[in-house]
Amino acid sequence: MSNRPSIARRTLATPLILSLLLIAFALVAVAAGSKPFNQTMIDIFLRVTLVVGLYVFVGNSGVISFGHIGFTCLGAYAAAWLTMPPMMKQTLLPGLPEWLIAVQLPYWAAAVLAALWAALWAAVFGKILMRLSGIAASIATFAMLAMINTVYSNWENVTGATSSVVGIPIVRTIWPYLIVAIVAVFIAWGHAISRAGLKLRAARDEPTAASASGIDLPRERLIAFVVSGGVMGLGGALFSHSIGVVTPDTFYLGLTFTTLSMLVVGGMGSLSGAVIGVLVLSTLIQVLRWLEAGVSIGTSTLALPNGVQEIALGIVMIVILAFRPSGLMGNTELNWRRAKTADPGASGQPE
Amino acid sequence: MKNWSKLTTALVVAAVTGAPAWAADDDRIVVGFATAESGFMQAYDKPAQDAAMIRIGEINAAGGLLGKQIEVVNADTKTDRAEGAKAGLSVIDAGADLVVVSCDYDFGSPAALTAESSGLVSFFLCAESIKAGIQGVGPHSFSASVLAAVQGATMAQWSYEKKEARSYYRLLDTWTEYNKGICDGFDWMLPQLADATLVGEDTFKNEDASIAAQITRIKSLPEEPDAIMLCTMMPGAVSAIKQIRAAGINSMILNGSAVDGSYWLSAVPDLSNFYVPVQGSIYGDDPNGDVTAFNAKYVEATGGDPSTQYVYPGYVLIDVWAKAVERAGTTDADAVVAELEKMVDEPTLFGPRTFNSEIHHQNKARYLIVETNAGTPAVVDEWTISEPIPVDALMK
Repeated sequence: MSNRPSIARRTLATPLILSLLLIAFALVAVAAGSKPFNQTMIDIFLRVTLVVGLYVFVGNSGVISFGHIGFTCLGAYAAAWLTMPPMMKQTLLPGLPEWLIAVQLPYWAAAVLAALWAALWAAVFGKILMRLSGIAASIATFAMLAMINTVYSNWENVTGATSSVVGIPIVRTIWPYLIVAIVAVFIAWGHAISRAGLKLRAARDEPTAASASGIDLPRERLIAFVVSGGVMGLGGALFSHSIGVVTPDTFYLGLTFTTLSMLVVGGMGSLSGAVIGVLVLSTLIQVLRWLEAGVSIGTSTLALPNGVQEIALGIVMIVILAFRPSGLMGNTELNWRRAKTADPGASGQPE
Repeated sequence: MKNWSKLTTALVVAAVTGAPAWAADDDRIVVGFATAESGFMQAYDKPAQDAAMIRIGEINAAGGLLGKQIEVVNADTKTDRAEGAKAGLSVIDAGADLVVVSCDYDFGSPAALTAESSGLVSFFLCAESIKAGIQGVGPHSFSASVLAAVQGATMAQWSYEKKEARSYYRLLDTWTEYNKGICDGFDWMLPQLADATLVGEDTFKNEDASIAAQITRIKSLPEEPDAIMLCTMMPGAVSAIKQIRAAGINSMILNGSAVDGSYWLSAVPDLSNFYVPVQGSIYGDDPNGDVTAFNAKYVEATGGDPSTQYVYPGYVLIDVWAKAVERAGTTDADAVVAELEKMVDEPTLFGPRTFNSEIHHQNKARYLIVETNAGTPAVVDEWTISEPIPVDALMK
């Protein structure tokens, strides 16, 4: 080893800065003291978790996945199964195994199990899908999303099919969501600077050279797929506690494209981009919603026509991508010094 | 770094200017509508909400509730569940004593759950699932409409008693809970009707372009059934009805309330022998003259006729809630719920309403029967099922 500081020390600033940013957002919510604003902030933290989860795979492998919201669905339903009162499960979801009907866990324990459950399925799907590359892999992930959605929309006595599953305890304090978002950021950072993460990024940029150097691409992709599947599952579990209702159509195309576009706007190749993409777009959405609802200035009320929010959001996204085609952050990460490092650890070689 | 200081500033500014007042003032009576002002649910929520506003206007004109004017606050759910939860919290922060939520259970429940966890009364504008109430939200939640199952049961019993139908065919569109609910009610009623038989049953999906296979099976029955219980809703209902009639099947077609309205009849010209249960008539021939007067008021307020009977539950919900508040002498949720649960056949403009501690919904109700004859719908009868549908049958 040279006498350069370790890769972890050189890149630790990124997750720390991002965490401070998230904490700052949380403090704004606490200072505002309004319940709907608090809920908005919870939504933002959930999206941060999901987009960071998506980044772990998409950012490091360069393969766009349309299927990750499927893992969110798995996580959300697993959390529902584990936290609903047994009485309600008996009537609404009688097809669950006896022991699962009887069990009722606190939400944080259920969230951990839900993440593991999603990761397990990511391993099963990934084992097969990760042999594919490029557009074929993207299409296959989309097929996976459709499969998960179809199973969950039709398995009447286990998932309640298209009906809403209710009875999930609602968690309205902001802290669990903040903690999960920060945990997701650290997991993503930890993966990015790990051997697997570094190899995967090498293969993303130079697939031929990477395999010539002995990198087993399907294996490295699978690791990223499982880690990101787990984070998406964790996000899904928290999502179910944020509104107390889950339905399969919540976890389908709408959420897939919302999270993907936030990642693209932020910068696909950068963890900071994933977080900043969510924060910028969510803030914009929120400001436009307030303007739609009307803001009183003196005696008059300024209000935009309903629907302007969606249009303005689309325009802003086009403008951002026109001027910064690789997203707000491009491939750079936030750092204490002027940003000059590329991906966390990209300049460092594993030994 | 520059980026996020800007962001934070923007956020703080937005929070300060945009956050609603959250001090609930006890001197006010506030009704909060956490309903869809945009998105596809708006088509269902807006008309019922307009009707609710008419009732609020009437109460305020007559001196208010407990001597106070009812105030109204709104928040848009954007036909989105996560936004629904926020909309619920917004109206609660604005001091709502009653939270009115989206018509549909799936879209209204997030807001209703926020009301429940704040210990407030919530009312679904027109949900027809048993879950929209105690079973799916909690002890402070109600629905202003009538259960879908009652519609199926009403049509079965009425056609048996008044039209002497004996052989029935059951055709279910498996798309929504509502559709299944109608057929569940039909299934519950049919065995109670002596010598009524189910000669066949089949399912289809709302989006199916063709139900030719199902029609072939009806046609291959030895005899055309007296009645077809069609458990479906818009938009697929129109195509199904059109195909049944085009195939030369002239059995009477029984439906749920969701196909009420004349807006789609031009798609099936000269439709006859077609029956729908409704809570009130939009066709100007309601036996209760006050309903026709209400329709006129609705035209005045909104500039158009009610397009379906789903306008009416909005009016009913404010009506029964205000009565309960008046009797309780307070807007305190538990006291109001206690008064609502005492209501037995409470008269309203659109039929009597009953609530009790087991069910916050109507498992028995008076329905007007609308017959469409040669393309013209008109009220021909009214019917109340002989006994309420038990909760067990509804929960299955």
